[in-house]
Amino acid sequence: MTDVTAASTETQPPAPWPDDASLAAASHGGPMIELRGVSKEFLGDRSSTTTTHALDNISLTVNEHEFITVIGPSGCGKTTLLRIVAGLIPYDSGQVLVKGKPVTGPGPDRAVVFQSFALLPWATVLENVAFGLETRGIPRAEREEQARVLIKTVGLAGFESRLPRHLSGGMQQRVGLARALAVNPDILLMDEPFGAIDEQTRRIMQEELLRIWGYRRKTVLFVTHSMEEAVLLADRVILMSPRPGRVHEIIDVPLPRPRGRETERTREFTDIKELLWDKLRVMQTV
Amino acid sequence: MAAAAPQPTASAAPFDPAPAPRRPRRSLARRLPVEGLSLLAGSLLWEIAGRTMDLPWLPPLSMILADLVTLLGQESVRANILASLQALVIGFAISLVFGLVVGALMGRFLSVEAALDIYVNALLVAPTIILIPVFFAIFGLGDGTRLSVVVVYAVFVIIINTMTAIKTVDPAMVEMARAFGASEAFIIRKVMIPASMPLVMAGVRLGLGRAVKGMITGEMLVTFVGLGALAARFGSQFDMSKVFAVSLIVLILAAVTNWVAQLVDDRLTRWAD
Repeated sequence: MTDVTAASTETQPPAPWPDDASLAAASHGGPMIELRGVSKEFLGDRSSTTTTHALDNISLTVNEHEFITVIGPSGCGKTTLLRIVAGLIPYDSGQVLVKGKPVTGPGPDRAVVFQSFALLPWATVLENVAFGLETRGIPRAEREEQARVLIKTVGLAGFESRLPRHLSGGMQQRVGLARALAVNPDILLMDEPFGAIDEQTRRIMQEELLRIWGYRRKTVLFVTHSMEEAVLLADRVILMSPRPGRVHEIIDVPLPRPRGRETERTREFTDIKELLWDKLRVMQTV
Repeated sequence: MAAAAPQPTASAAPFDPAPAPRRPRRSLARRLPVEGLSLLAGSLLWEIAGRTMDLPWLPPLSMILADLVTLLGQESVRANILASLQALVIGFAISLVFGLVVGALMGRFLSVEAALDIYVNALLVAPTIILIPVFFAIFGLGDGTRLSVVVVYAVFVIIINTMTAIKTVDPAMVEMARAFGASEAFIIRKVMIPASMPLVMAGVRLGLGRAVKGMITGEMLVTFVGLGALAARFGSQFDMSKVFAVSLIVLILAAVTNWVAQLVDDRLTRWAD
């Protein structure tokens, strides 16, 4: 196992990587996101009286600098959970705290990366990346300067004046990621960000995300339906059960970082993935 | 092992920006050969048919063009063209403001849509011509009637397109803006308006075409000024050559206004096509 780790370190980009001590210190920051007994129901159509119990009594703490992935069968409310933390939809009961304060709406401490990318088709890459800063009233020169730095970070230097439709799906989501990072949030909320991207590109994007996260240690809440992705990226995997959505189990992923493709070939990775699969399979039949 | 393998993600710039793909511009010059040839063939056919068949309703094209030149040389004709143009510009401006505002309100607020939808749809499909006597009763022979006819012809298609445009703005984009903390005003200005521009402009261009029709219809049937009055007068004299000459003036007018609208459209919605 040590061999593999060494090999993976050699092949990693020369990104500044915190040593083990600072990593350990960094990953035990205070609670960043706290959910206490959060429930959410959706009303059915006007014609029907049925309601969908999307989330039931969710309690969860995400610490600073932690990378959390959320996985579960479709309909388990994982996207609802993320949208509640983002402040995009209200919740019925319980408490949602971000940095100790109740969430009442979107805030500058959080940024969302969307599955559909949600780029403005009339705006260039530069304008799209700068959009979050623009909503905050940052003057053009300043926001474009910051946007250029992030465009470089996600590997899109030279594409600043392109329109989104001239970019591949993977490149579009790089823009989405840069836009989120540009506002320098404490928390990155990622809603199946690579779900609409083909498999090869998806793998590259996962490595890119790990590389970037390596030196911009945001707290990440990442919703996915891919088991490999959930295990590869996370410090902890939240496994949710469907209808009503509940936290079924929280699985620690003690794999060493930095992680890469080599990580997926280790016994440890496979073991955790199989464990996750066993639990998901049981849930599907129940 | 993997240590030797090149890492595609290691570089900070994994993509080589090739020159940006450029949209082939819908340039007039590129369409011209076919259009020009078609126009030439049609004109020749008309000229030959006019000369050989000697029909009273089909004067040769050369005669029409000669009449066109004569007409354009007359002070009174030029005054009539100006009067028509004036009605068109003012009537279309009213339609534009009214259409955009009402359409936007209907698109944004379900209650407004519910209240007005039936009227807008009814008036869009109703043959507007039957309303002309009503306008005549209200405004008499004045400019009010001419402008009303232009507005009634043009406004409803602008309303409906604007409403549809606002209603079909991708909710994912609005949600994205909200997630970044954008205010409602910011969302309208920076997301809703640009996103709805292609459909709105399509409505504006359709409205402009209908405004030209409304202008001529009103002038021919009621007010007897402008190009419509000229056409009606020559028609009653069975001077077909002059009727066609006036029609040509109207066609040129319509083509020019459409060209202006196209220029504006291209500028505003280059990203969309």
